[in-house]
Amino acid sequence: LIREREMKDKKKKVVITGMGIICATGGTKGEFLASLRDGRQGIRGVTLFDCSGYPSQFAAQIEEYDPLVFFDKRELRRLSRVDQFVLIAAQEALADAELNRDGGHTGVCLGVGAGGMLSAEIYHRQLLGGKRPRPSLLLPFVPSYAADRLAERYHLQGPKTTITTACSSSATAIAYGAELIRGGEADVMVCGGGEALSELTFGGFCSLKVMDPLPCRPFDARRQGLSLGEGAAVLILEGKERAMGRGARIYGELLGYSLGGEAFHITAPEETGTEEARIMREALRDAGIRPEEVDYINAHGTGTILNDQVETLAIKEVWRKEAYQLPISSVKSMVGHCLGAAGGVEAVASLLAMRHHFIPPTAGFEQGDEICDLDYVPQKREAEIEIVLSNSFAFGGNCTTLIFGKEDR
Amino acid sequence: MDAVVVTGIGVISPVGIGKEEFWKGLIEGRDGIKEIAAFDTTPFRSKKGALVKGFNPKAFIPLLKIRRLDRASQFAIAASRMALEDACITIRKDVTPERAGIILGCGFGGVANAEAFHRGQVLRGPGDLNPILFPNTVPNAAASHTSIDLGIKGPNSTVVQSFCTAEAAVLFGCQQLRAHKADVIVTGGVDELSPILYRGWDALRLTAWDAGDGERSAPYDLKRNGFVPGEGAGIMILEREADALRRNVRIYGKIRSFSTAGGAAYPGDKVARIISGALKRGGMETIDFIDSAANSSPLLDAVEAEGLKRVLPDRCCDIPLSALKSMLGEGIASGGVRMAADLLILERGVIPPTINYEYPDPCCGLRIVTEGLHASVKTILHMGISLDGTYMVILVGRGDGVS
Repeated sequence: LIREREMKDKKKKVVITGMGIICATGGTKGEFLASLRDGRQGIRGVTLFDCSGYPSQFAAQIEEYDPLVFFDKRELRRLSRVDQFVLIAAQEALADAELNRDGGHTGVCLGVGAGGMLSAEIYHRQLLGGKRPRPSLLLPFVPSYAADRLAERYHLQGPKTTITTACSSSATAIAYGAELIRGGEADVMVCGGGEALSELTFGGFCSLKVMDPLPCRPFDARRQGLSLGEGAAVLILEGKERAMGRGARIYGELLGYSLGGEAFHITAPEETGTEEARIMREALRDAGIRPEEVDYINAHGTGTILNDQVETLAIKEVWRKEAYQLPISSVKSMVGHCLGAAGGVEAVASLLAMRHHFIPPTAGFEQGDEICDLDYVPQKREAEIEIVLSNSFAFGGNCTTLIFGKEDR
Repeated sequence: MDAVVVTGIGVISPVGIGKEEFWKGLIEGRDGIKEIAAFDTTPFRSKKGALVKGFNPKAFIPLLKIRRLDRASQFAIAASRMALEDACITIRKDVTPERAGIILGCGFGGVANAEAFHRGQVLRGPGDLNPILFPNTVPNAAASHTSIDLGIKGPNSTVVQSFCTAEAAVLFGCQQLRAHKADVIVTGGVDELSPILYRGWDALRLTAWDAGDGERSAPYDLKRNGFVPGEGAGIMILEREADALRRNVRIYGKIRSFSTAGGAAYPGDKVARIISGALKRGGMETIDFIDSAANSSPLLDAVEAEGLKRVLPDRCCDIPLSALKSMLGEGIASGGVRMAADLLILERGVIPPTINYEYPDPCCGLRIVTEGLHASVKTILHMGISLDGTYMVILVGRGDGVS
């Protein structure tokens, strides 16, 4: 560990200097912060499409959303719902970072899930109905479309990559963005991800029987599955020296990460938690910290029977007895599972928790079960947090763990 | 900084399956583009595609598994197996599973499943949905199935970046090696041409069609009018140079430098900028061959020519250039197959031709190779252009220290 720490000290430090978010519980960082503190749930009946025939009708949909507040009609013809969310969050994050475009080489790295599926579905539905749909509905279907529009809008010239590993996409995008800064490929990276609800993902999760008929209740004994969510989260990453040099506000540092594959099953996690434990251990090693230095785990916590059980087992494997003293919560209890945006949304939640000295609760959690018997933070709680570990686990066994720390710890 | 080298390649392409058949097809100038018979093209303006022919998944994957895998996943598994074998690597024996990673560029894998699933939703309603389809709608299915099949447990990711999808994956793979997150990385690109994707390209009026001179992939030809959609997989095994030297294995080539650009600048400027960036970072004086990104689209080819002329005004008419998409068609991750070709060109000293170059476009003014050309190639400029905003070049050099 000492060697890892020494290596760590030599590596360029990457910090977060701006954040922007839009999700069911907040259209700005400030609103999102307030909702996290209150444990406000954004999971309601879906109105975006008809889901009356499905076992669940709930999702954390962004309500009362009027795209014309943000975009003109001409622009909107080229943007699907997810692209709009990404651009809205990016605008807030870039303004928050007060970059002033001071000559740095800025790149984009985003994670997306279904991307422009909602637009493609309109096209497909019309096609199946014998109509002649507008071909431009298909343009946003390529998953990298949002990253391209973002780079175009803000004239970002640097490297650009879109990560498409379902539920871990935007966590990986943050990790990779940091590496591009360390490797000298970019000075600043605009990272994060976006997701919009779509019929396909909604029906898809229903077909797998992992959708809770009620708003999801991660880690609770009565949990029956997940609730989907939507939104976008964008974070501005830059080298610490650069950020300090320009006197930027620093939300925290990405201390380390791990991305690995379970090589087990296309949908199910390895059930003993050994693989997830390995990923968390590798991230701790990368960050050069001991498990007991972690103050809070921002869990993947989807609310499915299996995920919450396996994640708990993995935490117990790494922290052993200490696991019972460790606060663990799932913001998916409030904003739903935002798939491609989830890792980004949870990174923003982790950094806000650190900055504002609190732990977001697992809303709706009342009673654990035999395996899920840790501290899932049912009520809002004040706490000093110096190090947060955030998990994102995806279909295909794509696991990503990020570790954030206070920059002045 | 650690140098990254390529020690294995695996190819499934419209001109041939396997390294040798692929190479033979390339230097013969074999046209991989055919009238599509696999699905009905009557509603479309375009009729041709660069489909992979004669692919037998049973040669690579157990029979029971095949049914559960989409075509992109089958391609990815088969090409990865070939590449690992080529690199003399057996996971677990030569590298621990946790130190082997896979970073794949995937072009529209899973879309056929997404279409089938959504069709069921629309036509039959929510009561009768097929749970097998949904998990395979995600673009990371191909990389995940491959990691499961081969037991790869290290860094695992999938990227899509428009027509530079494979190049973006290779950059990510190099970065993971340089950061010592893994010792072996399986990377490259895989594309699956499904009927719904073909329909989409056709509806967007991006594909080649018969306007009197036949439906062809004709890069740099005056009468080009769109690209021909293709599919396949081009997989490479990346290692740090020191590790490869220690293993004493064949080194196809070295990734010398990358350069990327995006934003809203004028396309020709971006092409010029990335080329000069890659040359500067790679410390290169000469380029022996340009692996063109030209795909027979009127604008893209012109943009590439303009960028080349701007940055190499005196030299670009002397450096041999070939547009392999004339034979292979275009897939958004087809950069992987082209990179595999680059490495074979370095090894074998023959430049494959550009076919269908009949009516030279006077505004291009490049040295387009139309017959297989013997030449000592030490450095290749691999172009990646996506007109919707991503520009990426990779400079690939011989691994023997000659260059």
